[in-house]
Amino acid sequence: MLKLPQSSTDRKHFVIVGALVLVVTVLLGFALLAILPVKAQSSVQAEPIRWLFQLHIWLIAFLFALVSVFMFYALFVFRRRKHDTSEGEHFEGNTVLEILWTVVPLVLVVIFSFIGLQTLQQTTSGGDDIRVEAVGFQWAWTFNYPNGVTSAEMVLPVNKPALISLTSTDVIHSFWVAEWGPKQDLVPGMRTQLHVTPTEVGEYKLNCAELCGLTHWNMVATVRVVPEAEYTAWMEQKIAEQNIEVVSR
Amino acid sequence: MRLTSLGLVRGLIGYAVGLLLGMAVVVVSRLLMGMSVWEAEAAWVGGVFFAVIGFLGGVGALSDWLKWTRGAETPLLHGPPADKPAWTRYFGVDYNHKVIGIQYGVTGLFLLLIGGSLALVFRAELADSGISFLQPGTYNTFLSMHAWVALAAILLGVGGMANYLVPLMIGAADMAFPRLNAFAYWINVPAILTLLLSMLFGWDSGWTAYPPLSLRGPVGYQLVFLSIFSIGLSSILGSLNIIVTMLMMRPKGMSLFRMPIFCWAILATSLIQLTATQLIGQAFLMLSFERTLGMPFFNPLYNAAGENIGGQPLLFQHLFWFYSHPAVYVFVLPGLGIISELLPVFSRKPLFGYRWVALSSLAIALVGFLVWGHHMFTSGYGEYLRVVFMISTLLVAVPTGVKFFSWLGTLWGGRLTFPTPMLFTLGAISVFLIGGLSGPILATTATDLFLHDTYFVVGHFHATIFGGFVFPFFAAIYYWYPKITGRMYDETMGKLHFWLMTPGFWLMSLAQMTAGTMGMRRRIADYDPALGVENVHLLVTIAGFVIAFSILIMIYNLFTSAEIGATAGNNPWRSRSPEWQIPSPAPEHSYARPIAVVGEPYDYGLAGSKYIASMGAGDD
Ligand code: HEM
Ligand SMILES: [Cu+2]
Ligand SMILES: [Cu+2]
Repeated sequence: MLKLPQSSTDRKHFVIVGALVLVVTVLLGFALLAILPVKAQSSVQAEPIRWLFQLHIWLIAFLFALVSVFMFYALFVFRRRKHDTSEGEHFEGNTVLEILWTVVPLVLVVIFSFIGLQTLQQTTSGGDDIRVEAVGFQWAWTFNYPNGVTSAEMVLPVNKPALISLTSTDVIHSFWVAEWGPKQDLVPGMRTQLHVTPTEVGEYKLNCAELCGLTHWNMVATVRVVPEAEYTAWMEQKIAEQNIEVVSR
Repeated sequence: MRLTSLGLVRGLIGYAVGLLLGMAVVVVSRLLMGMSVWEAEAAWVGGVFFAVIGFLGGVGALSDWLKWTRGAETPLLHGPPADKPAWTRYFGVDYNHKVIGIQYGVTGLFLLLIGGSLALVFRAELADSGISFLQPGTYNTFLSMHAWVALAAILLGVGGMANYLVPLMIGAADMAFPRLNAFAYWINVPAILTLLLSMLFGWDSGWTAYPPLSLRGPVGYQLVFLSIFSIGLSSILGSLNIIVTMLMMRPKGMSLFRMPIFCWAILATSLIQLTATQLIGQAFLMLSFERTLGMPFFNPLYNAAGENIGGQPLLFQHLFWFYSHPAVYVFVLPGLGIISELLPVFSRKPLFGYRWVALSSLAIALVGFLVWGHHMFTSGYGEYLRVVFMISTLLVAVPTGVKFFSWLGTLWGGRLTFPTPMLFTLGAISVFLIGGLSGPILATTATDLFLHDTYFVVGHFHATIFGGFVFPFFAAIYYWYPKITGRMYDETMGKLHFWLMTPGFWLMSLAQMTAGTMGMRRRIADYDPALGVENVHLLVTIAGFVIAFSILIMIYNLFTSAEIGATAGNNPWRSRSPEWQIPSPAPEHSYARPIAVVGEPYDYGLAGSKYIASMGAGDD
């Protein structure tokens, strides 16, 4: 058995704790990534979110390991033994340490601000090859295309940048397709927007993410991401159904 | 003893009389103005407004002030009432800060139980998908009530700790303004009644009450607005009282940097309460005016051209969060103060970096004023604000980190023992760590656009609030229980409580966060089984019931130990703090003689050091 040193400032303590912190960080990092599966993975805008999320997880794993290993180590090593009536070691603080653990987090803040700015730009930008207006109301959605087509489901061609323009006719709602990543509120009296470039064909659920009254939980619409040809066909069929004279696009 | 000799009973009568009177006033004025006589919402608004005043009059919280207007004498009475059993003083207006502290604390615990029970009901509903017994309207009401009842519980719990402890810790005879102190407590009671009454009508917006939704729903909203307005008034008056007490009534030798560290936490908390609470009062008042009198503050109105000539929904969110973000620090700073207060005692070591810990509370309070917009990243405000509030929010992590590291420094090299209060302190650190570390991931805007309004946020804030308030509050209850009752709680039950609640809570937080990343939105009455979160929800529900059960053990412990617990003695924890140098239970007049501070508060392990001395009759 390892003999632990008596003095609390002995180097040996810190070597052991340092090694444990590394091990716990790695284990915890993988564990957290496993139990926190980020659903956003089917759009260009989801990528920066996933990437930043994972970066955060590693920082969280490290900080969690740092604090908890130090704590549990101290609880174990510095517990009072039977028949020991002495007091703890007398030290009141350490200014160098305090400055260190103020400045290092500050540097991290600067780095994360910078990364945060870049990822924000990436996740809120994109083209407007396709434009759709999504209107939310208690408790359903309608989608208007610029050519006059109106639909209760939203259909988008895969890999085409779309700009979704959002508004509400009554209370605040929020547009969220979890697989796409970001969400955006719909505010009555305002127009907001969301960029999305879907990258995977499939059927998704658009949910309202802002409590909006009685059946908020059920304010759902179907979103279909389809190959371009299928999109064109769908659009033509809609135009025919709704007897619209094609204006543009 | 007549029942009406209890202040509380007279208050309730006053409430009922006020309610009827207020309704009558509304009905008569409508009659005079030639409007339809009965309009439920207007009648209830008028009724409840008068009911709150009626309660305060009935209970006697206004009596002395009214006498002042007549120039009558109002001596401060001390001790339990002469003609009634001693316990009755807790059910009426009493000016002793220890009584008021207990009133706050017990009311807070009571509300915590109500708020928790509401949660258990909807957690049971969420245990599997599909709507089983809670209809969506009721679900929304329960969810919204859970939040405000729990928040009121926290505010009262904080008030309890501050009122009981601060004067004791600084050796003051009482608070600076005892009558204001009693008023600030008692206004909570009709406010809580009103809040509970709102369940009759229901309301469905969650605690945030965003308009336009909150402008449309049932009458319940109006009761909530008035209730929160009153509780806010209590916060403002209470914090003013505390600040004055702390700044003016410290004993000789107690410079600010020689106060027990808990006082610093309360100072920071009170500064927030004194200056931010007005904003939520105003926001809710504006909602109330808009509903009752049609003033267009928040709801857009359109002219013929379709332009908005009415209100702005986002304005409300700014006002609301300008209070409600700082408010979360009101919830946790006192608890973090409790952690810093207890660690040195159970480590037998000085608090590591006292000044840094003290100032970090102030720093958190100040930075906390600049970050409200992180609740609005998806709201549609300008792109630029998304950046500003990201950076300011990340900054909060710095002073928070200082606290964690200083706690570790305090433990390091100590002689640690683990009675129940210490266990809850350590549990608090572990839980607050989960909560705090899940903060920055919500602060970087990109990740928040995904996580906002999901269960990840639910996990985050329950962990911060449990780690920052509930665990430390329980630690404080166990720790000061001997000082309050003179008896020891039961250690075995205390440990059982801890070992059920802490793992239960870890599990609950993590499971909530998992559900969030898997796409589970918050505040929904039912969810799509296709999300694959049913098992996770079941875990959350089970963990929730385990936590609730463990809290019942504590309640049982507190009740029985008051009768049969071992006699505790003056200072069972061998603390240096002033309140432990006087008898237990603390006597009516806490300090027989004024105290003087002659050393540092936390010099554990420094031979021959003293913190306070009792001043003899002659010297001052
Ligand atoms: C370590 C520092 C912290 C950071 C960086 C942080 C960050 C955030 C962010 C960005 C949000 C908004 C999330 C969203 O709605 O999308 C949030 C929500 C919240 N946080 Fe924190 N937080 C921190 C500490 C705390 C503390 C100490 C509390 C105290 C109780 C707290 C309580 C809350 C609450 C109640 C909400 C949710 C409000 C709601 O939407 O209903 N947070 N936090
Ligand atoms: Cu909704
Ligand atoms: Cu906040």
